[in-house]
Amino acid sequence: LSDVPRPRGVSLSKASLYSPSKDFTCFDGTNTIPFSYVNDDYCDCFDGSDEPGTSACLNSVFHCTNAGHRPQNIPSSRVNDGICDCCDGTDEYAVPDTCSNTCDELGREARAQAQQLAELHKAGNSLRLELIERGNIKRSEMGEQLAQLEKDKIEALKIKEEKEALKSDIEAKENEALKVYREAEEKEKERKAELEKEELLKQATEQFNKYDSDNDGLLSVNEIRVVNVFDKNKDGEVDQEEIQYFFGDNENVDKDTFVSSVWSLLKPLLMMEEGMFRPEQDDQEEHDEELPHEGEQHEEEQHERDQEGEDETEDIEQHDLNIDDQLNDQTKTYDDETKRLMDEASEARRLYNDAERAVREIESNIRTIQQNLEKDYGLNQEYATMDGECLEHEDKEYVYRLCLFDRVTQKSRNGGGEVGLGNWGEWGGEGDSKYSIMKYTNGVTCWNGPARMTTVHITCGLETKLTSVTEPYRCEYKIDLTSPAACDDSHFIQQQQKKESHDEL
Amino acid sequence: MGSVRYLPRLIPLNNDIIHFDNEDINTSPDSVFVHGNVLSAEVITVNYDEEKKNVEWHYALRLSALVDGTFRVEIDEAEPLYPRYRSMVALDGEPKGDVLKLISNENGKLTLKNSQGHKVIITAEPLKFEFLDKNGEPAVVLNDNAQLFVEPLKVRNGDGEEDIEGSLAENFKSHHDSRPRGNEAVSIDVAFPDADQAYGIPEHTDGFHLKTTTSGEPYRLYNLDVFEYELDSRMAIYGSIPVMYAHGPKRSVGVFWHNSAETWIDVVNYGEGNVVSSLVNLVTGGQKRRVDARFMSESGVVDIFVLMGDAPFDVYRQYSTLTGVTPLPPKFSLAYHQSRWNYVDEADVRSVDEGFDSHDIPLDVIWLDIEYTDNRKYFTWHPIKFAHPAEMVGNLTAKGRKMVVIIDPHIKREAGYFFHEDCTEQGLYIKNKDGNDYEGWCWPGSSSYPDFHNPAAFKYFAERYRFENFPGTNKDVHIWNDMNEPSVFNGPEITMPKDNRHYKPSQDGQDGLASFWEHRHIHNEYGVWHIMATHQGMLDRSDGQFRPFILSRAVYSGTQRYAAVWTGDNMAEWGFLLASISMCLSLASAGVSFCGSDVGGFFKYPEAELMTRWYQAAAFQPFMRAHSHIETKRREPWLYDATTTSRLRDAVRRRYALLDLWYTLFYEHTLDRVPVMRPLLTHYPKEEQTYTIDDTYLLGDKLLIRPVVEPGVTSVKVYLPGRESHTVWYDVDSFQRHKANGYFTQEVTIAKIPVYQRGGSIIPRKERVRRSSALMEDDPYTLVVTLDINNTAAGTLYIDDGETYDFKSNKFIYAKITYEQTAMKYIITNSGNYPTRSWLERIVIAGIKSPPKSAKLIQDGKSTALQMTIHRGNDVLVVRKPAALMAKAWEIQFSY
Repeated sequence: LSDVPRPRGVSLSKASLYSPSKDFTCFDGTNTIPFSYVNDDYCDCFDGSDEPGTSACLNSVFHCTNAGHRPQNIPSSRVNDGICDCCDGTDEYAVPDTCSNTCDELGREARAQAQQLAELHKAGNSLRLELIERGNIKRSEMGEQLAQLEKDKIEALKIKEEKEALKSDIEAKENEALKVYREAEEKEKERKAELEKEELLKQATEQFNKYDSDNDGLLSVNEIRVVNVFDKNKDGEVDQEEIQYFFGDNENVDKDTFVSSVWSLLKPLLMMEEGMFRPEQDDQEEHDEELPHEGEQHEEEQHERDQEGEDETEDIEQHDLNIDDQLNDQTKTYDDETKRLMDEASEARRLYNDAERAVREIESNIRTIQQNLEKDYGLNQEYATMDGECLEHEDKEYVYRLCLFDRVTQKSRNGGGEVGLGNWGEWGGEGDSKYSIMKYTNGVTCWNGPARMTTVHITCGLETKLTSVTEPYRCEYKIDLTSPAACDDSHFIQQQQKKESHDEL
Repeated sequence: MGSVRYLPRLIPLNNDIIHFDNEDINTSPDSVFVHGNVLSAEVITVNYDEEKKNVEWHYALRLSALVDGTFRVEIDEAEPLYPRYRSMVALDGEPKGDVLKLISNENGKLTLKNSQGHKVIITAEPLKFEFLDKNGEPAVVLNDNAQLFVEPLKVRNGDGEEDIEGSLAENFKSHHDSRPRGNEAVSIDVAFPDADQAYGIPEHTDGFHLKTTTSGEPYRLYNLDVFEYELDSRMAIYGSIPVMYAHGPKRSVGVFWHNSAETWIDVVNYGEGNVVSSLVNLVTGGQKRRVDARFMSESGVVDIFVLMGDAPFDVYRQYSTLTGVTPLPPKFSLAYHQSRWNYVDEADVRSVDEGFDSHDIPLDVIWLDIEYTDNRKYFTWHPIKFAHPAEMVGNLTAKGRKMVVIIDPHIKREAGYFFHEDCTEQGLYIKNKDGNDYEGWCWPGSSSYPDFHNPAAFKYFAERYRFENFPGTNKDVHIWNDMNEPSVFNGPEITMPKDNRHYKPSQDGQDGLASFWEHRHIHNEYGVWHIMATHQGMLDRSDGQFRPFILSRAVYSGTQRYAAVWTGDNMAEWGFLLASISMCLSLASAGVSFCGSDVGGFFKYPEAELMTRWYQAAAFQPFMRAHSHIETKRREPWLYDATTTSRLRDAVRRRYALLDLWYTLFYEHTLDRVPVMRPLLTHYPKEEQTYTIDDTYLLGDKLLIRPVVEPGVTSVKVYLPGRESHTVWYDVDSFQRHKANGYFTQEVTIAKIPVYQRGGSIIPRKERVRRSSALMEDDPYTLVVTLDINNTAAGTLYIDDGETYDFKSNKFIYAKITYEQTAMKYIITNSGNYPTRSWLERIVIAGIKSPPKSAKLIQDGKSTALQMTIHRGNDVLVVRKPAALMAKAWEIQFSY
């Protein structure tokens, strides 16, 4: 093969373009030069075609045959720079013996590696076919489920409508019956407010008169200096700060001012003095102490339960119950007919809420299945069964967790919370390698930087597992994942052939 | 008198003047005498209270004449309580003396003269020094404004917390300065008659030429690690070089204020529009050309060098003769550097290394910031992330690449860390005011700082660089000395307390305050001590065989002898790109030619256009390193869009093509001591428009660079100097010829870097693209000849092995290349040789109106006919492949 005479650095496929018997025309046609100028270590062609075997042109390519291994094209700037780039050493001819020929050895290794990889793909391929089968089953099951849910939804909506009609009917009656009671209630409220106001005025006036020792209708600074209750911080004297607190910048206050502004500041102190009232936080503490002492374990569980409880349906139910409670409180004052209507209405509301919840649950299930059906699980559904599967990887500092088609997280081994490194975004490989890279984006934002993201690089392996996690760029993580889903026998062979034919150029 | 920090404009005590005692001069021959090159005299301050002269204080004056048109004036107390500090590292050895002749001594005026014809007139009362140029005109005047001042050291009573004047100790925020010696400030004023502009005293961000400071802050010189430093500011940042130049059409002069303490400088330029005209009339008698300056330092003695010029060339040389030049750097250090805080582990380093290859971008050095260490303990490697340093370095050096790792001066206080334990046991750390090891907070947490004034500490630090003490390093691992202002996160102004104590050799009768120096005395030179120890260590580790490369952030006079510098933690903003030019120009004129900025900006992220323009600008600045903050987005060149990547590649390749020009310029810098990167006024001193230009500069006298530093522009204004001398400039991309005529409009695309080669010059290029500069060693040269109006040109080329000191034993080539119409000659000027395998690939001659018909090469007595191509469109002649060997002389003869 390599016996075909051609200038140094020229591949077999281009050998015919260099004919020693005639002048050489640059490939781009811009110049024609004597053939002796080819590879004379001076660049005459803009496209570099006259110097394939030297470093004279910026843009030319040196071809090494690398007999025993794969042929290779290198930028000709690497010719005679003292570094062996071709395994056959042909790129370093200026200084003899710079490089030894390592092609046989490398070729053997490469072939063994390729063989191994081919075997791996072959073995993995049968697992992949299983995954595909299960994936397809899963998908068709989801389709069936969806159809069933759509039916259920129609049924549930019907029930909901019925219950709603019943509910509004009985509620109208209940409302009518309660109207009388509401009006009475309003009046009672107004009366109470009036009374309270009077009481307040009375109390305030009483106190004012008590402190106004010279009875001149003005409360002066000196008068309150001697009254304990104005000693807010209980240090034994009414100091300037305290006077400022009650009087502002005034020297004295009249009765009206006292009632309208000073009294509201003074009253809590007075009540405290009289033991009628204790500051809120004290109450709280006492309350806490009354609770039976619980272990941390228990508290955490409690916490988790609380979190689980944060669900919209329950919130609404809670709200409804409150109304019922409020009404029930006053049951004793209602007549029997009203009470009966209220009970009925309460029951109708409960039934309607149940029906509404049933619809929502079905709708939520439909949404989930629809989303999953829309998800791209690979060319042949080979990743479908992995949705939601979580894999972990630990290094010296962190535990990484990848939940496929969901999210990536990082947790420090020294404690601390989880940090989101990205949520499922899309497949990100290029061209026909689309399914070799998964992108998880929009993780927690880095200080002064972008939101964290993770790319998952998938290669063929008999087991689905994480093999490494790195952070090659700040806040951009890279996970290596092996899976039989990436073992495609025929695709692999195609790729290998393509690579070899490319090298031949 | 208040503290120095807060009252930069010290007001002299009423009725105090400094002068010669007139009678003494006349009657006592002992009080003034000239011996060799030195005049010595006594100076006294006199209090004229109650019509009576009371002598207040005695001072000793020395005026020395030094070689190459330089004078030195020193004023110290005649009998100080204890010695006052004199900067120890700024001078490159003891300056050499010239002749000083006493010409006359009459009427209270002494007239003296040096061998070059510069005169000094000293007026006794009040004291004034006038330095006259060769034409007898005053060029520099000292104490014209009576600001000469040396605060005498006084006996302190008590424990040092109270002062005779009640204002001794000082508080800054929560920091307390005990100021045990009290006030010891020194000051002098300098007038520069006929000066249009003054420049120098880096490092500041308010442009190349100095502004009048009467309505604002004075220039402050105090090395500080300023977080996100500001543009257009006279605030103190990382560097302090107290040399100032004044320039006008008549002459260039300069002064070097030799002092390592905190220094404030006020400037008044009477030519500036905003200086009050009554002041102009009062001081200059209506003359608009004069610059006054006042130097004031917190401690030390008055020690000022007067540089008599008279051309810019001369003042640069005079300053560098005093403080030294940048020695010839290893060649790789002039190439492209890739850095980031931080390349996280060995795999990251590998992938960056490979990324440059796969994107075909040359690279010489990969840098490691602080995280490569084991928890920020210097001289160690991170046990997991950098577990195989030797192998990692080996991967780089296999492609001719190098590594630079950071070694900061803060030492982690951690039990079991050898460095800390040794320094503690041997007492090598800087002490606090109470004499205990000082503890500050820096990257490693609690840290202490080696006291390099202590020879044992200097030696200990230097020895850490030995290969056996720093396993994983070899001759191709070089050093980055950062944080050496020094930076102390919890210290006053992020630096060290001024009353910290430094080592002082024990001498007879020295105890108490006489037994140590305070940090305030030595602050600005601490960074030089740091890099000196590193430099010594790097020389010793290879037995003096290889040239060290060091990068320093702190800068002071003398830094240039040991390290390159960069402009610190800048920002990815257009303003900082522009500032990189004026800051490096200012540093270069102050002796530090090897300067660059963090390419792309340290903080924030440069978008594609800014990144492109920064690479293009940096390709033509002496030190080219991309660097970025740990929290910023990654930005290796290929992480931008493909078009931007190709622009960045192009900029880096342009850098490599001109590496031999850079190397030759740095070699010539060691000979002529003139900056490599030069303000336009250097070569066009009479062209007044050039005085304030600081976005354009010259490389040597050959290239003019006006980088595009504005966003979104399609043209820029370029000033081409040399109209009077009929200079022509050639666009290096198109060889379009421009006659020098001030400003012209250059259209630019995003790919354009406005660079012009002066007609009359010859520039060597290596045009083959390799992975690193080491791999270009044997590559052939292209010589680019641009003709002047007489159709001649000349250039130079320096060649050696690029990394050893063998050039000192004459193993190099320094060639002069000349072009005349009939012949081009390559003449090796030195007697030695270097066996380069490089050859002459191509000659490009631009501006050739009537091309020769034939050409032949003559080398070794052999004659070879050459091929030529003429490009009519731009009058460029290309001589094809002369193939002359560059190791020997050659000549090309042209026939017409």
